[in-house]
Amino acid sequence: MADDTSGEIVRVEQLSKTFVLHNQGSAELTAFAEISFSVHAGEAVVLHGPSGSGKSSLLRILYGNYLPSAGRVLIKHRGAFVDIGACDPRVTLDVRRNTINFVSQFLRVIPRVATRDIVMDPLLRRGAAVPEARARAEAMLERLNLPARLWDLPPATFSGGEQQRVNIARSFVHISPVMLLDEPTAALDEANRAVVVELVSEARRNGAAIIGIFHDDEVRKTVATRLFDMAGRNPLAA
Amino acid sequence: MTYQAPQEDLYAVPGGEASPLLIARNVTKYYGAMPGCLDVGFDIWPGEILGIVGESGSGKSTLLGCLSGRFVPTSGEILFDRADGGGLTDIVNLPEPARRRLMRTAWGLVHQNPRDGLRMGISAGGNIGERLMAAGERSYGRVRGAAEDWMDRVEINRSRIDDRPSVFSGGMQQRLQIARVMVSEPRLVFMDEPTGGLDVSVQARLLDLLRVLVRDTGVAAVVVTHDLAVARHLTDRLMVMKGGRVVEAGLTDQVLDDPQHPYTQILTSAVLMA
Ligand SMILES: Nc1ncnc2c1ncn2[C@@H]1O[C@H](COP(=O)(O)OP(=O)(O)OP(=O)(O)O)[C@@H](O)[C@H]1O
Ligand SMILES: Nc1ncnc2c1ncn2[C@@H]1O[C@H](COP(=O)(O)OP(=O)(O)OP(=O)(O)O)[C@@H](O)[C@H]1O
Ligand SMILES: [Mg+2]
Ligand SMILES: [Mg+2]
Repeated sequence: MADDTSGEIVRVEQLSKTFVLHNQGSAELTAFAEISFSVHAGEAVVLHGPSGSGKSSLLRILYGNYLPSAGRVLIKHRGAFVDIGACDPRVTLDVRRNTINFVSQFLRVIPRVATRDIVMDPLLRRGAAVPEARARAEAMLERLNLPARLWDLPPATFSGGEQQRVNIARSFVHISPVMLLDEPTAALDEANRAVVVELVSEARRNGAAIIGIFHDDEVRKTVATRLFDMAGRNPLAA
Repeated sequence: MTYQAPQEDLYAVPGGEASPLLIARNVTKYYGAMPGCLDVGFDIWPGEILGIVGESGSGKSTLLGCLSGRFVPTSGEILFDRADGGGLTDIVNLPEPARRRLMRTAWGLVHQNPRDGLRMGISAGGNIGERLMAAGERSYGRVRGAAEDWMDRVEINRSRIDDRPSVFSGGMQQRLQIARVMVSEPRLVFMDEPTGGLDVSVQARLLDLLRVLVRDTGVAAVVVTHDLAVARHLTDRLMVMKGGRVVEAGLTDQVLDDPQHPYTQILTSAVLMA
């Protein structure tokens, strides 16, 4: 097993992140330094560490949203590794469409689009027929206990927890090979948190690689196949 | 550290086309001794939306003018794929009639002030139909049908088809201008502050509309804006200009969320405080 790299889908090599705040006297803020690990399909790696230890920054680099300061991240995409911090933006967008999904606790509200359509969209983009996409979207919304009377409305006026559940429904209606999760259960009640835990575990068993941040101990224990400790990854913070 | 990602993988974007629609290299424009834009280079691919942001006077409109054939750059190259099988054509040195044909058929220009892009003296339907007729459409029925169709798409009631745009609100005028440009199915659209001068709620609606149109038609666009929210919602990649030069460029959300250049950091933090 140790030699089997065929299922390797994310490889982080000697990755460091330092923010240079040019307008504050070029102050340098190192979030973490020289991190290396790799993640295989079917694994759930949970990032662990105190607030400010760089967990979110690491996820954002994996998504191409932040740039590495040193080192690199390779993502297996369409059969070959892509250097996500150095490739053309078009490639990053293609990686996001097909290989990697980022689920945060915030829904990027699309102002005038109905909830059901927001959830159907990832399926339609992949060529699903409308009736099938609708059925799967509605099943997902139901599973997340979002009342049917809300399905025809845009989520702009929903409560924080309702918006978050729309976001999760959209993110899990189609599972990407790599799922990045930044506290997806943050504002949810017990029952809905349990649904999300189920969805994550299901995705993993179906072969997705999960890299996530969960503050809740119970959730972390249930979801993780492995912890990655961020504490002590910042030589300057010690 | 020995692993090398195969180079060709970076270019194999399935569904993507093999070559850029437009390539700009070292585009420089002086107004006398005054620099307008300096040494700007980038590619635009079919279906891609490029945003240009930067402070007033940084050269955004100058660059857009050069790209869209209204200004002649002092130096540099602008290559465009005319889709005639002839590969990339240098539009800077294109004879005037050929450039005009390109502007009429392959390109569209959306002005900040709809009055600059509309004919205020003719009907809304006439404004939309005009470009179709200029492109060779002779059937009145088809022109009228296309005009009605585009009124629907930009959400202006069909009953207003014979009204002049001068009686429309600013937001309606801007939507009409967009219909007028899009009806001839351009492959590349240039927009200079398309949501400038509109109320915030009107802006949001226009932005929604532009996103839908871009997605449904696959048109490529260059959008100049001073509004970072517009850039974030509409564009795939972003160039930040200062003093005529591009100081930073990349994937839009990366440039806005993890800005590297001192000027970009000022630009993005100013918005956070607002
Ligand atoms: N875009 C940015 N610009 C400057 N500094 C940043 C940026 N993003 C994060 N940081 C800084 O990097 C450090 C790590 O932040 P990060 O959000 O990654 O931590 P975290 O482990 O996710 O914390 P939390 O558990 O509180 O969410 C913090 O000091 C933060 O202020
Ligand atoms: N026709 C002109 N003649 C002389 N100088 C000009 C002319 N047009 C623009 N300039 C100058 O070129 C520089 C760039 O102007 P440009 O209009 O491209 O800026 P911009 O980035 O579009 O600004 P804004 O955000 O205010 O529209 C400015 O210093 C401007 O004064
Ligand atoms: Mg965090
Ligand atoms: Mg301008």
